Amino acid sequence: MARVELRHINKRYPGVQALDDIDLDIESGEFFTLLGPSGCGKTTLLRTVAGFNRQDSGEVRVAGERIDGMPAYRRNIGLVFQDYAIFPHMTVGDNVAFGLRNRGRPRQEIAERVARALDLVRLGAHAARLPHQLSGGQQQRVGLARAVVIEPQILLMDEPLSNLDAKLRIELRDDIRDLQRSLGITTIYVTHDQEEALVISDRICVMQGGRVHQVGTPWEVYARPATLFVASFVGAMNVIADLRVGAGGALALGLASRLAPVLAGRDCVTLAIRLEDMTVAGTSEDVPSDALALDGAVDKVTFAGREAFYRVQLDDGPQILAHVHRPERRLLERTGARVRLILPLANVHLFDPALGRRIEAVS
Amino acid sequence: MSPRWRPDFWSGVLVVALAVVAVLMVWPLYNIFSASVIDNRSGALTVANFAQILGRPAYQGALINSLIVGVGGMLGATLLGIPLAMLTTRFVIKGRDLLATLAVLALVSPPFIGAYAWIMMLGSNGWMRALLADIGIELPPIYGMFGILLVFSLKFYPFVFLLTASGLGAISPSVEEAAESLGAGPWRRFFKVTLPLVFPAVSSGALLAFVLSIADFGTPSIVGGKVRLLATTAFDLFTAEMGGNPGLASATSVVLIAVSMAVVVLQRWAVRRRDIAGSLIRRPSPQRLGPITSAAAHFVCYAIVVAGSLPSLVVIYTSFRKTSGPVFHPGFSLDSYARILGEVPHVIVNSFAFSTGAVLLIVILGTLIGYILARRETLAAGALDSVLLVPYIVPGVVMGLAFVVTFNVPPLQITGTAAIIILMLFIRRLPYAVRSSAAILKQIKGSIEEAAISLGARPGRAFLKVTLPLMLPGVIAGALMGFITAINELSSSLILYVGRTMTMPVRIYLSVLDGQFGTASALATILLAATGLAVFVVFRISDRKESVFV
Repeated sequence: MARVELRHINKRYPGVQALDDIDLDIESGEFFTLLGPSGCGKTTLLRTVAGFNRQDSGEVRVAGERIDGMPAYRRNIGLVFQDYAIFPHMTVGDNVAFGLRNRGRPRQEIAERVARALDLVRLGAHAARLPHQLSGGQQQRVGLARAVVIEPQILLMDEPLSNLDAKLRIELRDDIRDLQRSLGITTIYVTHDQEEALVISDRICVMQGGRVHQVGTPWEVYARPATLFVASFVGAMNVIADLRVGAGGALALGLASRLAPVLAGRDCVTLAIRLEDMTVAGTSEDVPSDALALDGAVDKVTFAGREAFYRVQLDDGPQILAHVHRPERRLLERTGARVRLILPLANVHLFDPALGRRIEAVS
Repeated sequence: MSPRWRPDFWSGVLVVALAVVAVLMVWPLYNIFSASVIDNRSGALTVANFAQILGRPAYQGALINSLIVGVGGMLGATLLGIPLAMLTTRFVIKGRDLLATLAVLALVSPPFIGAYAWIMMLGSNGWMRALLADIGIELPPIYGMFGILLVFSLKFYPFVFLLTASGLGAISPSVEEAAESLGAGPWRRFFKVTLPLVFPAVSSGALLAFVLSIADFGTPSIVGGKVRLLATTAFDLFTAEMGGNPGLASATSVVLIAVSMAVVVLQRWAVRRRDIAGSLIRRPSPQRLGPITSAAAHFVCYAIVVAGSLPSLVVIYTSFRKTSGPVFHPGFSLDSYARILGEVPHVIVNSFAFSTGAVLLIVILGTLIGYILARRETLAAGALDSVLLVPYIVPGVVMGLAFVVTFNVPPLQITGTAAIIILMLFIRRLPYAVRSSAAILKQIKGSIEEAAISLGARPGRAFLKVTLPLMLPGVIAGALMGFITAINELSSSLILYVGRTMTMPVRIYLSVLDGQFGTASALATILLAATGLAVFVVFRISDRKESVFV
């Protein structure tokens, strides 16, 4: 159990600022996820905590103790790798015992702790096997047991599920979450999969270009994205960029009247709305006072079983995607039909086009 | 470099490696270069030596002959190697593994054995020539350019064969099927699709054949007759009874290096942007041939491989013939073996001891340097990587001369010792070990070591407990291959040996020049046996991949 403090961490590689003044506090026992596209700096940050990258400046503290000058082998940190990194020439048991042997623990204790760790990941019967006899999911569970058996202060995981197929990924994802809860170990988890991050985390830190865009609970990140980047990276979002507030037209009209207080003093705004946050109605439908309306024609219908999507060509402007709940057969035959999309104001996200920051107080 | 850089174990290794390379390679070669541009007597800077080589007909001839030998050996090897590779990978050929094994054995046996075995067959008194004369085919004796090219073609074809075969194995059959469905017939398909795709592999095999052909010293001096080459000229200029001419010998060496380097650059240029890494979903499967074409294909394959292995068979056979001195009698005996054990037992001991010593050094330093090159991307590591390319293009004769020039005088006066021969073998073969261990390491994921370190192992312990055990099969294979080349080394040993430090290849060479074919064959058979045994072990530990030999 340990609190992790990252203070003003900077790391520059030739031509890129890999980490730009990262400042984070991770609570004891928290499941904390670094989420972002590849190259956003999440793995660099994780490896800085692990001790395999050296930051140019900044501090890493674990349980109040500064560890950023320590070599990796002296930090008491468990690490789980994307490619498992199981020692192929050692049995499963020896893999798990490796860290305890480095610490010079007595034989008896090693045997007991290894057995307990393997039971924890449901591989108790496989201790004598060699890694190549295990499936990918089992190998990663060995990796997990090997990392937690040393009772590390914190556990770091670098995209541990991305080499597994979809079904195993979900299964192991739940295993990881349960294990982390039962051990209460502070965990930093790296992934580029936003759905995985939403499901597994206590809090998510969304990163891009070496910078932190938002830190918040899965709900906050999804429902109140702090930047346009977060809005478009987490979940699916329609973005209507650079709307001119003062100009005419149906689109701008609703904006001007209903959002006037928020948009005062701006001549341009970026609007975003999730696919499932609007309703598809007939063109004669009345528009409630706390909603915007966008008229257009259905351009294309995509059926995906549980759900369907309309691509709607708006009368004045871009195409947007709308989610159709419980698609019935008649709803799938509406290509060309005129529709009115109703956007409740509570669901509309507005961003400053220049800075990409959220404009608050849409209510 | 990070601000808080601390020297660790690996920076120590890097310093040692740079020092070793500087003393054993850069310094000796620098001495050869400087000797080539300095007048022997006055010590003034001069280009006279180069002017002589390019101006005087005798030396001009050596340069031209070297080029002919290089191109000829390369073409011969390619013309034998490509059809063999094509036939064995694309069609069902019985005994494919046997063919590949024989090709590897031909590859690793020393070229001078091929040279004198062909003399025993097609020389002035050769039995095969006599046999052919009996049925009315009169052949001129083999001595001269024809002999050299015959030996080199049959010696170096395995490079082209093995590299091309593995290249062909990596071409998805879909590509050829696509060409066929688009209307390309078999020949057009081969020349427009298949050959361009394997060109990088073919050309690296051809390059090896060229560089080794012009570097070889034993073959032209045994079978070359009056044909003068750069390698033999440099040797003669240096060792001439009347004082020799170090300036001219050095200049000849520099020209030899320049030719090799030019060809390497040419090959690199030819394969630029040709690094075709296809994703191989389907593996090519060999097709069955009709009875007549199949018989013809088998004949071609076995003819090439048997011709390549013939010298070794002749040598082994000869070693068991009854002899008295240079004269052979009917029947078999162990006379030749008794003679070498009686007369030159130390030569056998020397060969094994020197090679083993060199290999131990090579394995230790090669593995460590390989690790640095694979895992650390620093400026010094990059420099080391480029410098280690040098031994690939510097012929043994030149390296031998460079060693004599450098270590004949204080501060490191070691000529005439076993140490100088071991160090020579070491530095010549070090790059191969470095490369193979770096290649193995590239296949071992770096995260495995990081896992060990994150579990509390210091970097040294992580290497010993995790990385080294995973590298071991590759390291042992590399060591055995180093041993094979070390024990068969002739040209540099010939320059560096004294009576006490004579090795088997040197003794074989001298015996052949004396016409003592019996003792030469007995020694050569011992060499072949040691080499064959090493090949066998390599096959066992590397899942018999012939490609590890090229």
